[in-house]
Amino acid sequence: MTRSGRSASALIGVIPIALIIGIWQAIAASGLAPPSILPPPAAVFARLVQQLGSPAYLDHVATTLFRLFTGFAIAAVIGVTIGVAATGSRAVEAIVQPLVRVLAPVPKIALYPAFILTLGFENASKIALVVADAAFPILLATHQGTSAVEPKLAWSARAAGTSPLACLVTVVLPAALPSVLTGCRIALVISCIVVFLAEMITSTDGLGHLLVRASRSFQTVDMFVPLITISLLGLLLNVGFNALRARLLAGFPEEP
Amino acid sequence: MERIASVPGLPPILACAALLAIWEIAARLLAIDGLPPASAALAQVPAILGDPEALLNIAASLRRMAIGFVLGIAAAVPIGLMMGRSQYVAAFFNPLLMIIYPVPKAALMPIIMLWLGVGDASKTLVIFLGVTLPVIYHSYQGARAVEERMLWSAAAMGMGPLARLVRIVLPAALPEILVGCRTGLVLALITMVTSEMITRQTGIGNILFNSLDMAQYDTVYAMIVIIGVLGFALDAAFEALRSRLVGWAAPSHALVVGTT
Repeated sequence: MTRSGRSASALIGVIPIALIIGIWQAIAASGLAPPSILPPPAAVFARLVQQLGSPAYLDHVATTLFRLFTGFAIAAVIGVTIGVAATGSRAVEAIVQPLVRVLAPVPKIALYPAFILTLGFENASKIALVVADAAFPILLATHQGTSAVEPKLAWSARAAGTSPLACLVTVVLPAALPSVLTGCRIALVISCIVVFLAEMITSTDGLGHLLVRASRSFQTVDMFVPLITISLLGLLLNVGFNALRARLLAGFPEEP
Repeated sequence: MERIASVPGLPPILACAALLAIWEIAARLLAIDGLPPASAALAQVPAILGDPEALLNIAASLRRMAIGFVLGIAAAVPIGLMMGRSQYVAAFFNPLLMIIYPVPKAALMPIIMLWLGVGDASKTLVIFLGVTLPVIYHSYQGARAVEERMLWSAAAMGMGPLARLVRIVLPAALPEILVGCRTGLVLALITMVTSEMITRQTGIGNILFNSLDMAQYDTVYAMIVIIGVLGFALDAAFEALRSRLVGWAAPSHALVVGTT
């Protein structure tokens, strides 16, 4: 696409977003919906900016981020390890594949009460839920990616005397990096969403808890703010991860 | 050869049995209140399914889920197909979808309830929102990949743009659309359970947390098993339907991922 074409399509893309905010503003201004039901967008964004400067609010953000990244990191280790192992060994694959087939479509959020009962109400149960939700996309992407690696690459390494395990870790896994990172990116956004939902269901801190607390006291503006914050976080993490991915994959051929 | 390789359902059944066995052993070894053995939890399943009130709750949840799912597909497929065929439609929707993507849809529940009340409308709307995104995405990808020459030939034979979309793009993109629907179906279930867990009024999610509050741990785990089986069964049923409808397309191993 040419430069002018690109900026034209960016302009078109702004239309629906501007339209939504415009309608929101119009409804709020017309008095059709009282501010207790639909606060004007300016009030919400002003509150968002104010909250982002408040240390108490940032504490909640930090709590959420801690659970998010811990869960995501554990999920990444588990997902990549099992995914590579399933590619490397037929026996592992025979065990993992049916398990994944059964567990992947199960709504992981249903396991949350079980995590609460076994791990308590604190961080551990929320992190466990993030792990349960985020591990599957990483596992599947790693398995698909490593299975699709050009076999000649692995053969050459094996012929040069690399051990099967070293070959998996030093040749096959790096060659499958694009797929692995795609899985990680999906899992990162999922982690963001899941941690927020877990905090909404039972928590005493974190962004999700702020939403529930605001909804109990009918503070509508404060209901929007955590929701926008977590969505912004998801968006930023997605964009940031894409940038990281582009750097890491500098030498790889362009993916469709 | 193919027949032997696909003894249908055997490996998943073995996997289920293994999971139950691990659970049973872990529960007996740990011996904590919060983790009853699998056998105790499974014994509660008939009691739940025999309780008319619980059954009505589950049926109501499933009805909302089905309505939200169908409405979601009805809205998402046309949008996705048009995005795939027109650069301008794609440019129009893409930034909006990118912004909506990381929003936890079930978390919208408290806000939507302010607007639409506590009834079925709010719950169905949230499920609708959860379903649309993956279906739009896959319809978009499917429509983009349609062979241009087929469209040129149709246009040369005098077929209008709308007829081309319905009679050429839609069938050609169907395999990809159904992949999106499969993800959407799982997401509909997840959104339903999650939003019911958040609002705590009716439905499957509510039974789950009510029994947690009343310390009926066997029932909690029995509900988890029921929801898990529901997820697996819906996915398997849809996969069977998919392979009947588009058996001609290569079987897809799309990631069934996503959450709301």
